Amino acid sequence: MTASTLLAAVGFGIVTASILAVAGVGFTLQFGVTNILNLAYGDIMTASAFVAYLVTNAGLSVWLALVAGAAFGSAFSVLLNRFIYTPFVRHGTRLFGMIIVSIAVSLILQNALLAIFGANFFSLQMPRPSSVHIAGMVFTTVQLAIIAIALAAMLLIHLLLRYSKLGKAMRATATDPELARNCGIATDRVIDLTWALSGALCGLAGVVLVMNVTAFTDTTGSQFLIPIVAVAVLGGIGQPYGAMLGALVIGITSEVAAAVFSPQYKDVVAFVILVIVLLARPQGILSEVATRKEVAA
Amino acid sequence: MRTAVIAVGTALALAALAGCASSSSGASASALVVGEFNPFTGPDAAFGPEMVGGCIPAVRLINAGGGVLGHQLTCVQEDTRGDPADAVPAAQKMIATESTLVGVLGPSSDEALATVPLLNTGHVPMFVDTGQAAFDHSGYPYFWRITPADDVKGYAMALWAHKAGYTRAAAVFGNDAGAQSDVPTLVSAFTRLGGTIVYNKPFALDQSSYRTEIENILATHPQVIFTEVDPQTASTFLSELQQLHGMLPVVGTEVTLQAPWLKAVTGAIGAPAMAKYFEGMQPYAPASGPAWAAYNKSLLASSSQVPKPSQWSTDPYSMTYYDGVNVMALAMIAAKSTDPKVFNAYIVKVTAPGAGKTVVTTFAAGKKALQEGKQIQYVGAGGPIVFNRWHNSTGAFEAARYLNGNPSLVGSVSAAQIAAISR
Repeated sequence: MTASTLLAAVGFGIVTASILAVAGVGFTLQFGVTNILNLAYGDIMTASAFVAYLVTNAGLSVWLALVAGAAFGSAFSVLLNRFIYTPFVRHGTRLFGMIIVSIAVSLILQNALLAIFGANFFSLQMPRPSSVHIAGMVFTTVQLAIIAIALAAMLLIHLLLRYSKLGKAMRATATDPELARNCGIATDRVIDLTWALSGALCGLAGVVLVMNVTAFTDTTGSQFLIPIVAVAVLGGIGQPYGAMLGALVIGITSEVAAAVFSPQYKDVVAFVILVIVLLARPQGILSEVATRKEVAA
Repeated sequence: MRTAVIAVGTALALAALAGCASSSSGASASALVVGEFNPFTGPDAAFGPEMVGGCIPAVRLINAGGGVLGHQLTCVQEDTRGDPADAVPAAQKMIATESTLVGVLGPSSDEALATVPLLNTGHVPMFVDTGQAAFDHSGYPYFWRITPADDVKGYAMALWAHKAGYTRAAAVFGNDAGAQSDVPTLVSAFTRLGGTIVYNKPFALDQSSYRTEIENILATHPQVIFTEVDPQTASTFLSELQQLHGMLPVVGTEVTLQAPWLKAVTGAIGAPAMAKYFEGMQPYAPASGPAWAAYNKSLLASSSQVPKPSQWSTDPYSMTYYDGVNVMALAMIAAKSTDPKVFNAYIVKVTAPGAGKTVVTTFAAGKKALQEGKQIQYVGAGGPIVFNRWHNSTGAFEAARYLNGNPSLVGSVSAAQIAAISR
């Protein structure tokens, strides 16, 4: 194992972390504010990827496909909450019941995609990327674009949470919805906007994922759900900054594990770290820090 | 927070349980059921449609020819998801609920070790597509294999690469049981031929990236890559290899010659790179002769039940599934019984060559000959079927390139060459 191989693994881990960060922040943000564990998240990613596929197949650019995927994820998530999840919550369905509902939505969505597109593999139509050498590592233009997209998305989320009224309202709603409502915050609207924002990140994550893997099918997003949940749990559920950190840990660790041990232990090593961290800090890495500094969503 | 963590754990467990469901296309009560016991979803979802491409044309011709002892046949999908945890309950359900089940196509390597004993105990004749060497000397009476074992596949790949002059190779196989069963004989044969396997580590499937693995592989300077991974993994791996370094020659197993794999990887690396760098090895099944013509005609006429049927016209596995159904149907007629416990022993009788036997290439011809009191040797679309004492029948391998949207034969490895290296 040479230092350059290790360095390359870290660099490649940043690409993986970028995809995980976009997906993980959306997932944890939505859970933190709405208290609904949406296990259909991976399937919404896939559906958004199919929207992007249709856009690129129509001859439009992959950048437009990214926007379309994010817009679809956002709109679908809002509608999903309005017409499926909220009625269950109003009827008193509790956390575990909502998990079952979200699994049902996941299966329905997955099978709907299978029925519409068939059991096949699809690729976005986009120009073949070129290679770029940076600090002894080789990236493709697509990978650099994915890193840039993730950085931009994380920066926007940071600005939104820290400096906007909506961000403050989201944090208040997440902390105590009843109190937030009594203070004049339109919590229903905040929840809608949270679904829209997390859905947009979900859609964006779906598109960047399939840009990276190049071929996808109706189950690609759901296969990615476990690492996304791991990122959210590792960072502290409901903590967007924790999810960013969790994505870095999982992304880099899995690539380094592939370099040092064997590719088949990629997930195993990452999840061993997850278990160790949770044994030491069941609330996740950043939970207490976030609460103390009032940066939690 | 603790509640949330518990909820996550419970949710993941429930999600896993939710994945246990299997699908069935349903069948009429009076029809004899042939189970298509293979993955239709999951990483090896490409296997199932290939099986449909063999079962449907066979059943179509059998039913058009008056059926078997007054019964029609039907193909019923049983999705194993390519996972023993799903396949075992699927097998148990199938045996318990399909009262007219006369046999199955499958299982594949993904679930064979867990389900072959179950099916055997249930007296279900199975025409397996598993290549696992564990079944080379199988003692299961209801086990039948007319596709080559994986160890044979490994020999064929090694011989083909050796013939091309490669001496340094990387083995890129998925960490699933099916793919890993190819590796031991590939390594031993390539080494015996004077080559070196410079990289051999199982791959975790469907990752978002394989860049680190590629760096490690390139550090060993291979001339060729041997592979069997699912389409999504292959697309990610090969496109990243192409982007980061440039393509290397690739020799794949027959899994890489299946339509979904070819489509996915061609989309990822482009048709010119596929045509130039990729070759796949598959059991040799010439697309010619009367048995193949009957198969292909029925296949092409089955478009209402087989999507894009022409994609299976030259697929050796679809041909062997077709042959498997025909053999079971003819064995029933020869045994004058649809009871598997009775007709199972007749499977050898309708396929083995012998003096005075009438060679037949279709179900209709076989049925007619049997009704006339003759003994028959069924020669199928995939060629002659000669079972050894362990119910295995294997043959030669062909190498194919993907040219102009179709696998095209570029050479072959003979059964004699394989036998020589396997000693």
